[in-house]
This record gives sequence, C-alpha cells and structure tokens, in this order.
Amino acid sequence: MGLFRPARTVTGPTGTWELYVSKTALPAWKEGQGQDLGGSLVAEGFAEGPAGVLIGAVLSLVGVLWTNILVPLGRFLIFLPISFARGKRSRAIRIEALNPFPRREVLLWTTTVEAKERVLDEIAEGLAQGKIVHPIGAVYSGREVE
Amino acid sequence: MKLVSRLVGYLRGDVEQADLTALQSAGGEVYSLVEGLPRGPARLAAWNAYVLQTYGDKLVAASRTSTYVRTDTAALAAESFRLACLWLGRANSLMADPGAAPSAAPAEPLPHWHTAIRCDEQLVGMRETLIALHAYVAYDLNSFAREPPRLHEALAEIEQQLDTVDILWIKHPPAEIRGGIGTALCRGLDDAYALGQALSVADE
Repeated sequence: MGLFRPARTVTGPTGTWELYVSKTALPAWKEGQGQDLGGSLVAEGFAEGPAGVLIGAVLSLVGVLWTNILVPLGRFLIFLPISFARGKRSRAIRIEALNPFPRREVLLWTTTVEAKERVLDEIAEGLAQGKIVHPIGAVYSGREVE
Repeated sequence: MKLVSRLVGYLRGDVEQADLTALQSAGGEVYSLVEGLPRGPARLAAWNAYVLQTYGDKLVAASRTSTYVRTDTAALAAESFRLACLWLGRANSLMADPGAAPSAAPAEPLPHWHTAIRCDEQLVGMRETLIALHAYVAYDLNSFAREPPRLHEALAEIEQQLDTVDILWIKHPPAEIRGGIGTALCRGLDDAYALGQALSVADE
C-alpha cells in the first residue's frame, strides 16, 4: 500500500487505470487569492518610467509565486502531518483509480482495512469491463476530471 | 466525561431531553399494541406508529448525555413522535370501528434528515432502529405458511444494507464512510418500514 505506487494496473475499454490504495487523503492544493500588486502600482501611477515598470514586473512575479506556489505549498506542508496522523489512526482506506489519458480522470472509493482486498478486486474487475462498480462495504464518491 | 458532554450540549444550544418527554411518552403504548392485532388496516396503522415511535426513542436514547439532544436529532425525533401519535390514534379508531375507511401510508415513508452527514450518535440511533425493525419483520415473515418471494427479496435488501453498515462501522470514520453508513441506514429503514406495511395487510 503506497501513495505513489499503484496497487494494480487495469486495462479496459475506457483506457488504462492505475489503482492507488492509501490510508491518507493528501491535503488539497488550493491556490491563494491575491491581487497583482505590481500591475496596480503601474496602473495607479506609483511606478513610472522603465525602472517603475521593471519594479512592477518583479512585484507581479513575486505575487504570482506567492499566490500560486508558496501559499499552497505552505498550506500543504502544514496539513500533511495532520493527514498522515489521521490516516494512521483510522481503519478507513481510500482507493483511487487514475486514468491520465486523454484527460486526467480520478475515481474515488472509500472502504475499510478488512474489506480492502475484496473491494479492490471488484473495482479492478469492473474497470476491466468498462464499468464503475459499487461494491458492498465501499462508498463511491464520484469522478473528478481535469 | 459526561460533564464535558453536557457542557458541550449546553454551549451548542442542544434541546433538553425533558422537552421531548411529553411527546415521547404519548405513543408509548404502541409497543404492546402492534403484535396483538390481526392483519389489516388497524395493524398497518399500528405498525406505522410502532416504527416512528421506535425511531424517535432510539435516536433520543443514543444521545451522549441524558440531559441534552442535538437540535437536528430532537427535530427528527419530535416529528417521529408526532406522527406516531397520529398513527396510534388511527389504529385505535380502526380497532373501535373496523368498518372505517383505512387511510394511506404517509407520502414520505419516514421523516428524513436535511443534511448528508450524520454524527456518531445519530448513526447509532438509526442502526439500533434498523436492527429492531429487521428482527421484527424477519420474525413476522417466518410466520407465513407460504412465504411470498417478493417479500423475501425485500428482506434480503434490508439485510444487504445492514451488511454494508456492519462492514463500514469503524472508529473515527471519515466523512465519506459516515455518508455511506447514513445512506445505507436510510435505505434500510425505508425498506423495513415498507416491508412491515406489506406484511401488516398480507394474506397468511
């Protein structure tokens, strides 16, 4: 059981699916909300001339890095230990089926440690036949397409 | 620990159990009524009252303290007790005047929750109710000389929901599992309610 290595790989009519089994739900990657400070400075006349535009561009770049990478990464790293601790004490198991092509598609089931193998077998069998199954003792949460 | 639970209940604005007592005790006689009635409209009404009273009683009993009940639990339990009293009154009038026209079952089988995820104590109350109803309908179905296959299939459906709940019943369930248990219990309760209604008026 691992977060980064598939427990099964299944090929069916809907493509090749990798089944990942884990006890941990990784924290969601949520981008922060911030305004374009550099752009605002230029637009409002606080930064004029080539030097001002350069400062504005640098500030914009820092803003983009802050909002899209640093804030989500910080949040991810803060919540990661909590997610691991929760997963360690829980007997719940997440089974994620990932199909990366043509569009990244993820299906999620949740079951228990005891029912894991049977549920995994039924999911793999279903995907091999092009079906999304609902095994007894597992909760299907739905499909996520990116 | 009980003191903490009571304090949490107080701070959360939960309902005092004493506020439900009058409504809860009004339908108490239904437990001794349903089994003694012959199959027909009066028994159907008594069964409806029995299920609703059992549901309300088990939800209240599953509360962490004997003082407070969560607001949403109290609302559903109160609605169950209110409907149980109506059906009990109906059963009594049908017993007194068997010729009276039987009324239909309520459109919505049982009072339903308005949110998807149930807390631990609500799940316990629902599970206890389903176990009690399953035991009743399974025993009642066995009393038939000729067992109708359709009713047996309905019983199997209820048992499948109970199996699902048993498999998913773990400590510290995440929201997905909690939702799955709640859904299986709601289906099982609706199915058990409907099967009991069918058995109440079936030919032996």
